[in-house]
Amino acid sequence: MNSNDPRSTQNGSIARPEERGRQEPTDVGDLARTTRTPLEAILSRSSYDVIVCGAGHAGCEAALAAARMGARTLLLTGNLDTIAQMSCNPAIGGQAKGHIVREVDALGGEMAVNTDFTAIQFRLLNRSKGLAVQAPRAQCDKKAYQFRMKQTLEMQPNLHVFQAEVTGLILRDGAVAGVETNLGCAFKGKTVILTTGTFLKGIMFVGDATVEGGRMGDFAAKRLSKSLLDSGIQLERLKTGTPARILGRSIDFSVCEEQKSDSEPTLFAFYDTREEMFHVEQLGENRVGWGPNTRSTSCWMTYTNDQTEAVIQANLRRSAMYGGKIEGVGPRYCPSIEDKIVRFSDKERHRLFLEPEGIHTDEWYINGLSTSMPMEVQEAIIRTIPGLEQAIITRPAYAVEYDYAPPTQLQPSLESKSIGGLFCAGQINGTSGYEEAACQGLVAGVNAAAKCLGLSELVIGREEAYTGVLIDDLVTKGTQEPYRMFTSRAEYRLLLNHNSAELRLIDKAAQYNLLPEARVTAIRQKKAAIEHWVSRFEGTGLDARGTLADALRRNLQVELPYAFQALSGAIREEVLYRVLYRGYLEKDFAHIAKMKAIDAVRIPSDFNYETLKGLRNESLQKLKKIRPQTLGQASRISGINPADVSVLLVYLRK
Amino acid sequence: MKNDGKERMPYDHPGASFCALSTPPGESAIGVIRANGPLAEALAVSLAKVPYPTPRHAYFCDYVAVDGKVLDVIILTYFEAGKSYTGDALVELACHGNPLILQKVLEDLFKRGFRLAEPGEFTRTAFLNGKMDLCQAEAVAELIHARSEKALHIAERQLKGGISAHYHSILDALMAAIAHLEAYIDFPEEDLPSEDAQGPLRDIAFCLSKVKKMLATRHYSALLHEGVKTVIFGAPNAGKSSLLNAFLGEDRALVSPEPGTTRDFLAERILVGPHALRIIDTAGLHTPTSKIERCGIEKTFLKIDEADLCLFVVDATRPYPAFDAALWAALAHKHVLLVLNKTDLMPPPYPTAAPWNALPCLPISAKTGDGIDALKRAILDAVEAEDLSEDEDLIICIRHARALEQAETALADAFAKLKDGAPVELAVCDLRFALDCIGGILGKVDNEVILGLIFSKFCIGK
Repeated sequence: MNSNDPRSTQNGSIARPEERGRQEPTDVGDLARTTRTPLEAILSRSSYDVIVCGAGHAGCEAALAAARMGARTLLLTGNLDTIAQMSCNPAIGGQAKGHIVREVDALGGEMAVNTDFTAIQFRLLNRSKGLAVQAPRAQCDKKAYQFRMKQTLEMQPNLHVFQAEVTGLILRDGAVAGVETNLGCAFKGKTVILTTGTFLKGIMFVGDATVEGGRMGDFAAKRLSKSLLDSGIQLERLKTGTPARILGRSIDFSVCEEQKSDSEPTLFAFYDTREEMFHVEQLGENRVGWGPNTRSTSCWMTYTNDQTEAVIQANLRRSAMYGGKIEGVGPRYCPSIEDKIVRFSDKERHRLFLEPEGIHTDEWYINGLSTSMPMEVQEAIIRTIPGLEQAIITRPAYAVEYDYAPPTQLQPSLESKSIGGLFCAGQINGTSGYEEAACQGLVAGVNAAAKCLGLSELVIGREEAYTGVLIDDLVTKGTQEPYRMFTSRAEYRLLLNHNSAELRLIDKAAQYNLLPEARVTAIRQKKAAIEHWVSRFEGTGLDARGTLADALRRNLQVELPYAFQALSGAIREEVLYRVLYRGYLEKDFAHIAKMKAIDAVRIPSDFNYETLKGLRNESLQKLKKIRPQTLGQASRISGINPADVSVLLVYLRK
Repeated sequence: MKNDGKERMPYDHPGASFCALSTPPGESAIGVIRANGPLAEALAVSLAKVPYPTPRHAYFCDYVAVDGKVLDVIILTYFEAGKSYTGDALVELACHGNPLILQKVLEDLFKRGFRLAEPGEFTRTAFLNGKMDLCQAEAVAELIHARSEKALHIAERQLKGGISAHYHSILDALMAAIAHLEAYIDFPEEDLPSEDAQGPLRDIAFCLSKVKKMLATRHYSALLHEGVKTVIFGAPNAGKSSLLNAFLGEDRALVSPEPGTTRDFLAERILVGPHALRIIDTAGLHTPTSKIERCGIEKTFLKIDEADLCLFVVDATRPYPAFDAALWAALAHKHVLLVLNKTDLMPPPYPTAAPWNALPCLPISAKTGDGIDALKRAILDAVEAEDLSEDEDLIICIRHARALEQAETALADAFAKLKDGAPVELAVCDLRFALDCIGGILGKVDNEVILGLIFSKFCIGK
């Protein structure tokens, strides 16, 4: 539809179900009659199984997963040159996030491999702590990461990548039927996945200056927001921010502390169960990327000081956030520097990390200095910092405010409760972070494809993966701030050690055909080997000292069988982990078994809560809003107390 | 599954009317019977003799049974559905506290279509009608079972949140410890103060001492609910059963001048001041002649062993009985009162202490009732000496005690791990379990609260 079409200015570009008859151009059945250009004619001739709107970290995984499952997939992006862009810091992984990236790999996603082959620094965090809470983290070359992901998408069979801005949903009978674009052409699709990031009505703030857009230099998706609202989807505002970038040649590294790469990289993807280093699904020559840890670079640390604080205090009112210009809620764990100074005034200095944006650029990211101050104040702040006195700023720090669709409107499959076939993933669901986006994109892609292929939906349990915790939290509790994953959000943290991601998710990966057959076999063999050695250690008696496992737990000197010592590090590490942590893991398994009982109690989707005696009104309202699928999910809704669950149970029990 | 109100739910018996005695059994000034359900209104109409009973209005009327006999003069209060304790229509009948009368009233109510309430059914109905949450329901259940004014008072305190303040202080310290430790697990890259377990160790130690203190009151809690276990013992025919009857004011125990009549144990509850006493009458202690007696005497020793208070009844007209050393050993750590019975058969003065040790000696006549009041005062003093004062930390139900026991173990484990420098995530695992235990009492703790603590305490973020 053309933007000068009067209908689009009146109603947006959405066909509300009741207007379908009148709005014939938006009815996909009539597309042939309304096509005006050869381009449209070509594109709209065929129908897709899955249309992904947005090619960020969620969109890429969604499109790849759907296409790899065999669904005819279309990936639409407003700009092909910003595919898989890291809009904020140039790093993947970290605590909990690193775990998620390994889960993405276990489910056949791309983020892990893409990181491994474009990373310029690897570090394993929490080395001093136990295995469950260690996590890999990597600095990436941003451009290489994007190019490699773009190439992967381009090579993917069943996937068509096309540059167009999605401006509206096309609905039919309360279900999604396709999307409209700014090019005046529509695309038919059985399912649509929205991965809009910060682009929905995105507004950026640099002090008093405001710019429309989802990212500096990019557009804002204004019409799609209206289309979603017209479709009955509730939207709210969130806020996040990013610091300034400066040139490396203007930094005095001699006054900064160096943080080097680990000598032995901890990779994100599992290579012991792969036949080749490269992902089997990936075709093509001349791949962007390099061997892991072959292009190692360092990060650098410096600190704010009294002068920094003085500059910020003097200009506090000029901050977009403190000046009251931003309504959106920012994350507690990602405060702007003005926020840190005000809230933690007793802290003498705040640490900053200087991270390279890549090896193809001299731009550096100042981790810890996110702000919405005006440009000249930003400059003054940066110049107070040791090493940055002469810094040349290439891009300002800014805050961005955007629409998100509170995720309690979604089912655990990430499909909308109100519009069939519509899925949402990533920041539109109120999350933050590339990794959080990627795992949602993957699940949404699998579920959209599953819907088209007639498969059951993929729902990952809280005990299976951080991905499961993330999605369950989102659809059950919603979020008031950009949601970031922490290991402390997982009640079964010890079961979710990053090494075991493949083992935990193998059944689901196999069920949805997400991995090549050879890898499924390899993982199953690995799993069997681990289980064999665990039971062998638990069963092997040593005179008077109990079993071999007991001896290990008591930290006694024992000689392990040669056959064990000859196994791969991945297997040995997991076996020892399971033996040493046995007591704790068993406690978790017992608890899971208990929860399974109430998780097994399904609540009919048309269950009438109004008829329940004994529910507090507050609980009634929450249950009506969330409409949990199981009693277990109901019990996790915040504010639902055990009494409510008992009452529900009473009524659900025959 | 749709609930159309017709299906019979496990906890719901729609349409059923039930009744029960709401005050403790035994003699008292007033005994209250509650009758609940659809038949309640018809009952009020019939007894109060008004076509439309005014809710929450006290009617002074006769209790006329269905066979026309007047059983008692009562005060009737009618509560309409929706505004009663249970949420259903409810009638409260305040009768005279004579067990016989109360029994007859209940039997008459059965004839009118009421059935005897299942244990806790009033509260459960109130709960299912949305009149209270689970925690309150439990406190009310305790209230129903409370056998004394003191227990009643403490159950009331819990309803008002008195005891929850103690749980909250544990919870706060526990969450502070978890938040601190979690910060170092989840934010290894942040510029946090150097990792130090001292703060969490202090918090955990505080929780532990508080939990231990609360658990130490388990014993008193049982006393309050079960009543103070009081064993009457003495030589055959010293008048032990007569004493029990004097307490009860009726011929409850089989009394005869034939020694050794009581072979089994009789247990009764009486109120002494604010305390409930569970009085256990025992067979006489002497050199047994029959097998059955020997068996009874051995049981008496067991009972003495379990007793909170012992009443040693001695026949004032006979020589002091000579018992073997085992008895004195059993009594060594017990509260014992020497009751000198049958003073009606001999003139004063009476001894004030036992000749063989300093046991307080209380002369009474179970037959005439002389000295019973003084004995009750002495019992009161002895019970108060057990320090059943209004302890703020009283645990009033088994569920709480169980949760606290589990929390105690987990806290101790976490403390040891932190002290030994074991992986901190394992200590957190224990602490989270303890948190679940306390949360089981107070309501679950949302993880957001802990995250909030972390972000308020530590400056975290890129």
